[in-house]
Parts: sequence; C-alpha cells; structure tokens
Amino acid sequence: MAKVKKVLMGNEAIAWALLAQGATVLTSYPGTPASEILASARKFKAEKGLEVWAEWAVNEKVAFEIALTNSWIGGRSAVMMKQVGLNVALDPLMSAAYAGVKGGFVVVSADDPGPYSSQTEQDSRFLAMFAKIPVLDPATPQEAAEMVRRAFELSERHQIPVMLRPTSWICHGRQGFELEEIVQRRQPISLQKDPAHWAAPPRQRFRLHGELNRKVKEVARANTVELLLGDEGADLAVIASGVPFAHLHDVIKGMGIEDRVAVYKVDMPFPLPPGIESSLEGYAEVLVLEEPGAVVELQLRMPVRGRLDGTLPSEGEYTPELVADVLLRLLGSQRERPSRPKEGHRPRLCPGCPHRAAFWALKEALPGGIYPGDIGCYTLGMNLGVVDSFLCMGASVSQAEGFWIALRQAGLPIPPIGATIGDSTFLHAGVPALMDAVHNRASFVLMILDNGTTAMTGRQPTLATGEEGKRPVSIEEVVRGCGVEFIRVVDPYDVETTIQALKEADRFARGEGKGPAVVIARRPCPLLFREESRGVVRINDNCTGCMTCVHDLECPALEEGDGIPVVLEDLCRGCGVCVHVCPVGAIEVVQR
Amino acid sequence: MRFQVIIAGRGGEGIIFTTVVLTEGAFKAGHPVVSSETHGMAQRGGSVVSQVKIGPFLSPMVPPGEADLIIATSLEEAERVRVWLRKGGLMVVNSSEGLPGHVDARKIALELGHPRGANLVLLGYALARTGLFHPSPFREAIAERSPHRWTQKNLAAFERGFRLSP
Repeated sequence: MAKVKKVLMGNEAIAWALLAQGATVLTSYPGTPASEILASARKFKAEKGLEVWAEWAVNEKVAFEIALTNSWIGGRSAVMMKQVGLNVALDPLMSAAYAGVKGGFVVVSADDPGPYSSQTEQDSRFLAMFAKIPVLDPATPQEAAEMVRRAFELSERHQIPVMLRPTSWICHGRQGFELEEIVQRRQPISLQKDPAHWAAPPRQRFRLHGELNRKVKEVARANTVELLLGDEGADLAVIASGVPFAHLHDVIKGMGIEDRVAVYKVDMPFPLPPGIESSLEGYAEVLVLEEPGAVVELQLRMPVRGRLDGTLPSEGEYTPELVADVLLRLLGSQRERPSRPKEGHRPRLCPGCPHRAAFWALKEALPGGIYPGDIGCYTLGMNLGVVDSFLCMGASVSQAEGFWIALRQAGLPIPPIGATIGDSTFLHAGVPALMDAVHNRASFVLMILDNGTTAMTGRQPTLATGEEGKRPVSIEEVVRGCGVEFIRVVDPYDVETTIQALKEADRFARGEGKGPAVVIARRPCPLLFREESRGVVRINDNCTGCMTCVHDLECPALEEGDGIPVVLEDLCRGCGVCVHVCPVGAIEVVQR
Repeated sequence: MRFQVIIAGRGGEGIIFTTVVLTEGAFKAGHPVVSSETHGMAQRGGSVVSQVKIGPFLSPMVPPGEADLIIATSLEEAERVRVWLRKGGLMVVNSSEGLPGHVDARKIALELGHPRGANLVLLGYALARTGLFHPSPFREAIAERSPHRWTQKNLAAFERGFRLSP
C-alpha cells in the first residue's frame, strides 16, 4: 500500500482515513469542531477524482439515516457531526444499534470540552454507552486516522455502528505523520432485504436487544487497556483516554517522572474489557483522566480518583498544567500554579456583515421587544442587544411561539416578539416549529437571516444554495408551504426598507388570528462572496464624539479614537449601516 | 529539539495561515510537530491563539511559562499572552515602538504592497532570531499553501522578515 507523509488537521486526517478505508457514502451537517471532516472529504474527493457521495445533509438525523442505509446494503459509510448534532441524530442512533449494520458504519461525534463553540460540554461517549455501541477515543490526530480503520473493522466484524469521538484539540490540532494513500475502492454491494433487522416489529425488538448485548460483550472481551508509559511497579496508576493522555504524556516526559507513574491508555472507553479492575489492584492510588465526562470512571468497580470524588474539576477542559498539578498532588508534592492568559476580545460580527444591519433594523422596528435567537454567527446579535436567548438549533421559532403562549396564558401584556434564525438553521430545525406556530396562530415576527451559507462553521453550502447539479430549495416556498401569510424579502443593507418591513410584519402578526409573519433579510455573507468594496466610511465635522456608532454596532472597522471614532479603512467595506446609526448625520460613504 | 511557540492575534489576521506554515515547515525540516488553532465562533474578530510544539510532543497545548517563542500581532495581544513565555524566551511583536523584539511588520508589509503579509514578516523575523531554523522548508510551505496570486508576495514578506534579524 502506497504511503504519504503529510501534516494534516485532525479533521482532515479523519476524512483522509475514511476515504482511504473505502467509505462510499459520507454525510454530515456542519458544526464546530467537526465541520472540516466532510469539507476535507469533499476536497480530497475532487483532488483524487473519487466516486463517492460526500454531501451536506439538511440536519444530522437525515445525514445519519442516509449513511446508515448505504451500510445496510454493504457499503462502508460514515456520518460526522458535533456532539449536540448527535442529540438530533439520537433517534436513529438508538434504533440503528438494535438493527445493526452490514458495511462498516462509523459515527464521528466531536466533543467540545471547554466549551469553545457549543452550548454544552456533553460527552458523546455517554451516548455511545446509552446506545450500546463501541466508542474509540483518539489522543492525537494520527491516532484518530488509525482508529478509523479499527472502527470499520470492528463495525463489520460485529455488525454494529461504531463511534469515533474526537475532541476539539484533535479536530483542530495538526500533526505530521505517514498515512495510507487514498485509492478508489469497489465493495460488493447488493440490495438484499433483511426484514428481521430492518423492520422488526416492537414485540421482536427484545431479540434485537439481546443480539446487541451479545455483540457488546464480544467487543468488550476483545478490548484491551495497555500500559503505555511509565513504570508498572509505581505506586500511582493513571488510566487515561483521549487528549488527556496526550497532556499526561507531555507532562510526564517534561518532568522526567516516568518511574513514578504507571499509565494505562484506554482506546475504547466503552465497552471496557471485563475484569480490568484486577490489573489495577496492586496500586496505592488509581487516577482516571478523561474528557469531558466520567465514562470510564463510572464503569470501574473499584475506588478511583477522578471527577466523582472531586480530585478533578467536574466542568471545563483539562490542560497540561491541570494534569501536572493533580499528578504532583497525588505524588505528594506541590508547585505554584502558573497563571492563565487573560481573556481576550470577545468575538463579533465581521465588517460588512449583513446580520449587523438586520439586527439594527430589528432594534429600531420592534423596540422593547423580546428577541429569541438561534445558533450561528448571528448568535452574536446578543452583543447588539437583540438576542435574548439561544437554546439549540431551531428554538428561536418554537420559543417565539412559546413566549407568545406563556405571556398570553399568564394574562400579561405581550411585547413585540422578534425572532431571528439563519437560513441553514431554519432548514435544519426551524421548519417544523414554524408549521406549529402557524397552526396555533402564534403572533410573532420571524426574521430569516439569509446569507446563502452556513457561515460560522466555515461557509458550507446550504440546501438553498445553488450548488452544481443540485436543486436549490426556495426558502420563500418553504415558508409559504408552512402556511405563513405575510412574507417579505428585503436587502438588510437597505436599512429603512427593512425597518418598514419589520414594522408591517409586527402589525400583521398582531392582527387577531393572523399568526407569524416572516421577513427574509437576504444578502450574501461577505466572507463567501467577495464583492467589490462599496466605498469607505468617513466621519465628517458634525461628529460630536458620542461613540454611538462604535458601541451600538460593534463593527471591527470602527474604533474609539481621540475624541472621535476612527475608521479602519482596510477593514471597512462601505456597507454604510453606521450612517443610519449616527444620531447627528456625521457619517457618510465615499468612493475609495 | 523541544521548541514551543504561541501565535496570538485577532480572528481574520491570518493566524491560522501562519500556524500552518510554521507547522508544515518544521515537519519538512524533519521534526515531529503538533499544533492547534482556534476555529468557529471565536474566530469572528475575537482574540485567537495558536500553539505549535516542535519535538517529541503529543499534546497540542503549551503550558503557561513554557513557550520558547511568542509571536503577537499587537502589543495588546502580546501582553495578554505573556504568561505563556518561559524565562529567557523570545517575544516578537508587531509594533512601531522600536523596542527589542518589536518589528513594524505592518509598515514593512505595506511597503511591499501586501498589507496582509505582516504575519509572515513576523514569522520570518522570529525564525531567524531563534537561529534554529533554515528558511527553505518554510519557503516551501508558503509556496504550497498560498493562493496562486499571493505566492510571490507572501514569499517576499517572509524573506524580508527573515533578513531583518541581526
């Protein structure tokens, strides 16, 4: 087999390995830290002219079901998502574990301890355990690539879905290593129906459950936990899984204490090998290091140190210095804890971002309102005071309905309700909620921020994007199909028109029995479609130095200067939204 | 070699590109290397940090007080991440104040007609200052990774930085 030496990001390494292992159907919905897996698979597919299906799906549940189906007829398949995406795909995951697979089926669910880009610090390994499927937990990008092969082999040997669970530092870590070249593979695929597994009636499902239990037992028996580092005869044993193993490795080597610790590495945190406790009995102390949950720790039937006894914190990510502190404490020494870097600047919308214009219009049109928000770049609307909540994908719509119902039930006055959701998120989970709101005649304004891409995760195409060979979904038609009677499409850069449309929408929604009104604010993401700059903003002599433009817009191109705002000309895209914000008409757009 | 680097700046300043060039250049030079970078929401104009570890490391995180080199795109970011620097470590900052370790990379990049090349000026300067690296593998990485229309300008920025070092 031909080999290549490369530096790859963990997500690229996983994509590379999935293709090198012959996956023919790969599906995903973007979400940090998992987004670059499918994006890279699509890139490698194009570079190498592979005949594989590597496509973004409307959401994780659909992505999961499409990939699983290919595995049912014998093809190697993979579905990739972030941990909260796995929640969306939990329904098919649970059932797929019972139904089993034929071609190898790998579920990649990327966790985000910290968290850096997520609502929760949940541990996907718990969902693997919950669904009773094996899960592999890589410590480095190289290991993630190697584990893809293992995952496919396990999946095929035991006819079970297998989870690969990287975390942010694997996904966005880079490492140089040697890996197998990608070649197009052909698999024996046949459409052979398997009703006993595909369509078992509920009363037969306990048999499938029994089958699953037997598979998990077999996998557990073949699992091993090896001494990988340190001295078997030490007093302290550490059981480490995933990235914390990498931290531990560097800490032990850096301090030169290989003789004082015995490190056992867990590649597969579920199902653990039976009787693993017996190999740990001789140690004075056993510490479990894993992230972000206590999956291994909870399975061990012996006293151990870890999260549950408070030796390690129960939230937040592990760092090498935290690992070093705990290790030294258990070894009976102490050191001064190094200070952490200060918090930096919070993220904000890009210069020229159409969302900024849309949010400003929303604030002007529906003052004193309640503003349910959603998941995407536009969550940053909270910096502008027009995102009051963001729960999960699509919840802006259902919570707009929820606020309307709750306030109405309580007999309280109902302020304007202005919900915002992005185009991709709307299609992902907003549509059923909108149907529900129409059905219940819930009165609120929904602004769909349509920038033609899934921007925050790296500008992936959406179903509404006109990719070659695909039929773009029309957001207007979907909204109309849900039964919405008020639909306006506006360009958010045209701030006045957007404000008028939102005001009209609010009047319509509040008319008795009318239901939700939708305004689609449509303008492409400036990161995706590099249009010519429209000019540049200048501050004229009218400026009183009130800094409203700087504070109310949080535009990276506007900074507080010496008494008056300063325009950073190389950042300014001349969108002119600040012109509307200035209370004294001191901002104008001029040609460059 | 055990050499740990922190690169600090704001989202959109090309920190990821600089990280990729450093990581791939070090690997081409024959060193094992792991690195990491900031993606997702934090990238949107917020403060971002990349970490590069050259040598027999597995974890991509540099502990505070252990970085041999910090490259920062502004004094503000430099101050923020200073706790990462080990005693005697090298700090290279984009600044016009002319203090030791300060490089007016932005001005140099503008002179080269390549305002976005300031990071590569800094990287070139920092690598030369360490005296540990030959520039060729990094040039190779820049040539491979640059969009075609920027290749020459990126190389020129790196070169200028590398030759600035005393």
